[in-house]
Amino acid sequence: VSAIEVARAALEAADGDAEAVAHTERSGLARFAGSEVHQPTLIENTVVTLRVVRDSRAGVATTNKVDSDGLAALARRASEAADSAPADETFPGLAPPSEPAQVEGYDERTAELGPDDQARLAAAAIEAAEIPVYGFFTSAVSELAVATTTGVSVEQRMTDATALVVAADEGRSGYAETTAWRSGDVDPAAVAREASEKAARTKGAQELEPGSYRAVLEPYAFADLLEYFSHDSFGGLGLLEERSYFSGRLGKRIFDEKISIADDSLDPRGLPKAFDFEGTPKQRVQLVEAGVARGVVWDRETAAQSKNGAASTGHALPVESRDWGPLPYALSIAPGDAESVEELAELVGDGIYITRLHYLGVLHPREGVITGMTRDGTFRIRDGKIAEPLVNLRFTVAVPDLLGEVYGLTRTAALVNSQNFYGERYPYGVLSPAVAAARFTITGVGSKPGI
Amino acid sequence: VRDLCAAAIDAATGAGAEYADARVVLKRNQLVATKNGRVDRLTDAESEGIGVRVLVGGAWGFACDRRLTSEGAREAALRACTFARAAAGNHSRQLAPLDVQTGHFRSAVERDPFEVPLAEKVEHCLRADAALAGPDILVRQAMVRAQREHKLLLSSEGTEVEQELIECGAGIDCSAAGNGVFQSRSYPSAHVGSSCQSGWEYVDGLGLEREAPRVAEQAAALLRADPCPSLVTTVVLDADQVALQVHESVGHPTELDRVYGTEASYAGTSFLKPGDLGSLRYGSEKMNITADSTTPGGLGSFAFDDEGVPAARTPVVAEGRLTGFLTSRETAARIGSGAGGSMRADGWNRMPLVRMTNLHIEPGEGTFDDLLADVDDGIYMETNKSWSIDDKRLNFQFGTQIAWEIKDGKLGRMLRDATYTGITPVFWGSLDAIAGPESWRLYGLTNCGKGQPGQSAHVSHGAAPARFRDVQVGVKA
Repeated sequence: VSAIEVARAALEAADGDAEAVAHTERSGLARFAGSEVHQPTLIENTVVTLRVVRDSRAGVATTNKVDSDGLAALARRASEAADSAPADETFPGLAPPSEPAQVEGYDERTAELGPDDQARLAAAAIEAAEIPVYGFFTSAVSELAVATTTGVSVEQRMTDATALVVAADEGRSGYAETTAWRSGDVDPAAVAREASEKAARTKGAQELEPGSYRAVLEPYAFADLLEYFSHDSFGGLGLLEERSYFSGRLGKRIFDEKISIADDSLDPRGLPKAFDFEGTPKQRVQLVEAGVARGVVWDRETAAQSKNGAASTGHALPVESRDWGPLPYALSIAPGDAESVEELAELVGDGIYITRLHYLGVLHPREGVITGMTRDGTFRIRDGKIAEPLVNLRFTVAVPDLLGEVYGLTRTAALVNSQNFYGERYPYGVLSPAVAAARFTITGVGSKPGI
Repeated sequence: VRDLCAAAIDAATGAGAEYADARVVLKRNQLVATKNGRVDRLTDAESEGIGVRVLVGGAWGFACDRRLTSEGAREAALRACTFARAAAGNHSRQLAPLDVQTGHFRSAVERDPFEVPLAEKVEHCLRADAALAGPDILVRQAMVRAQREHKLLLSSEGTEVEQELIECGAGIDCSAAGNGVFQSRSYPSAHVGSSCQSGWEYVDGLGLEREAPRVAEQAAALLRADPCPSLVTTVVLDADQVALQVHESVGHPTELDRVYGTEASYAGTSFLKPGDLGSLRYGSEKMNITADSTTPGGLGSFAFDDEGVPAARTPVVAEGRLTGFLTSRETAARIGSGAGGSMRADGWNRMPLVRMTNLHIEPGEGTFDDLLADVDDGIYMETNKSWSIDDKRLNFQFGTQIAWEIKDGKLGRMLRDATYTGITPVFWGSLDAIAGPESWRLYGLTNCGKGQPGQSAHVSHGAAPARFRDVQVGVKA
């Protein structure tokens, strides 16, 4: 049964105005540690969420029992929820019918991968590494469909594949990953080699005096940092609640003019999406243009609350995640001119080189201050060259300060996976180049790399 | 559904599995949240299915199916065997011995939270939401939640246990903004309040509406408070922040799968080594940490874990020395100590992992005022705001929503944006006092992430306010 059939069946079970969102997943994840697959997980599931609207009162219920009895019970629970809610004059109504753009993002070959294939591709990573590896290969086919009594009926099939490797032993570790919607674009052996080669260079890591340093951030690190910044600053709810760095700054210069950031779910280099969880077509949204704050993303609810003429840009999240409001799930940072990270190191001259970040925490959302650790490949830059390895470092940076003076970005952008596969499978990521910036504040030293 | 589990195990062993277990899980969640006087979320979610875990040739495999049919059960078992057979590696995984377990368990509840009408939950939130109103308050939020998890576990060794775990929780948050400053306050904890394995009486007892005016006043006052200075000083943490400190810097590093590196690709490893057991100095002699899956009301309480191992109370740190790890049957066999008991899965479609159950710091003596009385100059910090710790769980930096100066044993001016940082064993070594049993509270959090694919665990921590000397506070960007 397809997702759209499930959504339509749920809609038929409902009494009155309603929206049904159906999500199917068939995935396999072959997780390995110490070069052995130790947690191989196969998942098959279909989940349908029904939002029933009585006048301006809305209630939501979810189930994975999609036979007629299950859907009838779903409708009863959603109706009971709606009947329990007080009237909400700000409720914007369900989405009108629309014709989302045709997007890529589905690959038959990826969809056909089964457990033997997923295990084989994990083995390819394991066999290619010269030191023990920890990570996974995963692939999935998923479907999302939205149907409403207002006439929305949209569906999309998606595939995704990721190979992720931490190569590590005593005192050394390196990281690499590749994500794509075509599994053929993911080479687990190449990922493992990149992680291994990085790890080999981290032996004998030294400590570093805390302070402000020039820095090169690989795409893995830059994407992670920007994604955390985006939760408060790039969404309409953050703007309305004044926790966004953009509050009072729209139209003003906030970053170096080399920085342009968009959210672009239609870009085939990413993990394309045609519509959001309300069935609204995805739009490309320019967030930052040549350093100037241009806009944020909206869903129907926050756009209605904004009272400034904003309209949904197609960024509604699943209903259970809407406490964050709309978020950009396809961040895309405009690349620069540098041919390589080595060229960025030359621009930096003296500084630090960061492969990856770990366990970020937002200290002050309004100022964009974020802390975290570097991990799996931190190096000193001396005389424009990537030099000796460093221990894992604690950083505390204000993102606007980091991006206030940028020396350059690489010409190519990598797709960095952002989904850690909690809940239902919904692949998304950040298209990010590497960046060289003038100020990255180190506030402490941690342990040496490695296991 | 017992027959489905049995069918899955028969299919797995018939396909060559030397061990198999099957879990059927039926889970229901309700959430009501209000924001600024309107209903923000009102959801009622259910999920059911069967998860089958097998050992074939010493290799694990796991597969699941949402269909509670014999066909779904058998197909999941066979897919799990296929995946295990294909798994790369020289597998020789062993399980610690376990006697056959049978039994039933149900959470003790006075008023089943699912018997509380949704309209009553909405009203409960709206009253608390309204009570948060005040000058400079921009965002008011209240939420209540409830969960029922009914699960049946059968194993090829003959274990058969059935459990029904019921929990609920609630919390309020508000945010104030002005002059470019943004501040938040929460009660009883940040990050979706606090939860307990209990009936609705737990939510009633929290007194959200009663506490709301104080929470709002403090949020507004923070807009005019001075920033926390940067210095090395004595720090007193409230019980909520001590609970978070225990979670991050004791709970996760003592998970034995992390010690063995099997979580290296995501959550990270541990600064601890297997050989540290019984010898490593974790903190001062005031530090006593206990893993206890028998704690009444704990979110990590059960009669049996998801491998069927009976609940137990285990000292993890005794008088500052490492005395125990959190284990599975596999990791217990590998280290040659313990019997498991910490394996938990996030529903039917995830493989069990080594997780915290309930991890407590044991109370000391005296009152909160006694902790302050012995401080000439210091800072008191309350309610977690931000948290970050490295992959080995050594270097941490935490922030709290609010703080006060301590001068001559008394609380002084309010401070905002308080942070502190340290290295785990050094920090715990600086613990010189913890308040007594009357200050000890149980906090339940529902957002502990681990594993690939990701899993969220619900865990509880008992904690009391504690005092630490020579701590770096006020980290600046």
